[in-house]
Amino acid sequence: MRNLSSLKKEFLRKWIKGLRKYNSQKKNMNLLERKKAIKLSADLAMASTKDKTTLWRKALFANTSTKIDDEQDMSTTSSTPQKKVIRKNSTNSYPLRKRITGRRKILRRNHTKERVEASFIAMRLVKKRTRKLKSLLPGGKFMDDSCLVDETLDYIESLKAQVEVMRCLVTSSELFINQP
Amino acid sequence: MEQTTLESIQFNEEIQGIMAPASETANSFTALLELPPTQVVELLHSPEITGKPPKPYPLTCDTGNLTFPSNTTARFSVLAGENKNSPEVKDEVPETEGGGCVSDPTIENKKSKGAKRKEREKKVKVSSKKIKSIGDENSGNGGDELPYVHVRVRRGQATDSHSLAERARREKINARMKLLQELVPGCNKISGTALVLDKIINHVQSLQHEVEILSMKLAAVNPIIDSNLESILATEGLSLMDSNFPATVAPVVWPETPHNGNRQQFQLPWQSDAFHQPLWGRGENNPNFMTPENSLLSYDSSANSDKDWS
Repeated sequence: MRNLSSLKKEFLRKWIKGLRKYNSQKKNMNLLERKKAIKLSADLAMASTKDKTTLWRKALFANTSTKIDDEQDMSTTSSTPQKKVIRKNSTNSYPLRKRITGRRKILRRNHTKERVEASFIAMRLVKKRTRKLKSLLPGGKFMDDSCLVDETLDYIESLKAQVEVMRCLVTSSELFINQP
Repeated sequence: MEQTTLESIQFNEEIQGIMAPASETANSFTALLELPPTQVVELLHSPEITGKPPKPYPLTCDTGNLTFPSNTTARFSVLAGENKNSPEVKDEVPETEGGGCVSDPTIENKKSKGAKRKEREKKVKVSSKKIKSIGDENSGNGGDELPYVHVRVRRGQATDSHSLAERARREKINARMKLLQELVPGCNKISGTALVLDKIINHVQSLQHEVEILSMKLAAVNPIIDSNLESILATEGLSLMDSNFPATVAPVVWPETPHNGNRQQFQLPWQSDAFHQPLWGRGENNPNFMTPENSLLSYDSSANSDKDWS
């Protein structure tokens, strides 16, 4: 638990900085834009905690940098299609390695012999799930199994911290509004 | 050659230094599992950086004096011994194999690969059952420094370095999965990797969705908070350090801005004194949420621009 609270503190501090900067930049922001800004700054703050160079943090940084660049280019269009475009761009501009997932699918189709033994079925199930997990984690495409498990451990821990801090902030701001 | 042995010795010293405190029982990962998950994550991160033990198996075999490429158990220690200190290792080898191994290296050198494999398998089967473990656990090995991971093979199992390395890797993954199971609530009783992974995926997805929802909430609240962000967050930071807040307010229904037709202009008095009270009296103020919410804000940009907040 000590780790969690120190993580939260660090996250909060960095997030406050990011939020302040973002607020000072644009005043007339739409709700969705604001939400994006908050989420971005929260993600960045999360990714920069603990000084550990885990893969998902690096991937988060890469993703957010592409998002910010795209956002600056398309500041005139409305926000919701902008969001979709930004997301598409960020996934397509990932230049690091070949698309392994695509190849795997092609191999599957040509695979004639389907083994029905229990162990193979179990293996297939597990592989499906690991693929899904890889899609969830930022930067998960490029991790092997052992690395994946490590990263998910770290990621879950920091997500928990993030959620708790945000919840606290929401409740405090709600209270603040309602009080006076 | 000497340089590689020196490096491998240093390498192994690091591994020893990390493995020794972490593993007092035979299996280092089960010892790790006694610790709480977060600490274990820390511990796991450090050994990962320093040691990747399974890889040296084929490499050092080539550089060693002996020519057998892949070998089991105590033979690894024999190799290591040959590289630096043969008497130490020879003491250790009879423990595990029950004697007669000292002369083996010389004999094996002369045999062909096929014959070697048969002989190895025989010896494994003949020898007593061994405990599978990763890490150094020979009893007479106080200061012995081996450059690679010591893996023992169960009776009747394959003895290639490849399958050994694979097994080591699988054990590593399984240990981490156990940690994950402890971290994610509700996974402890489930047996079977696929179902556990299912739960983990659901958990990660739910956490990510929560972040989205919370950031949406904050975005809705944000324009009002802007000007006094600093003071709120300063006090917020203090209160966060003190305690964990129960998520009693999380299920509060936040009205969607389109359905809220009110376009009232809000003039909230910005008094720093008022801040401290709500933060400490948090638990009591829950019922007050629903009523003022209806009279709440429209977060229209035009409404914002009228106000003097900066």
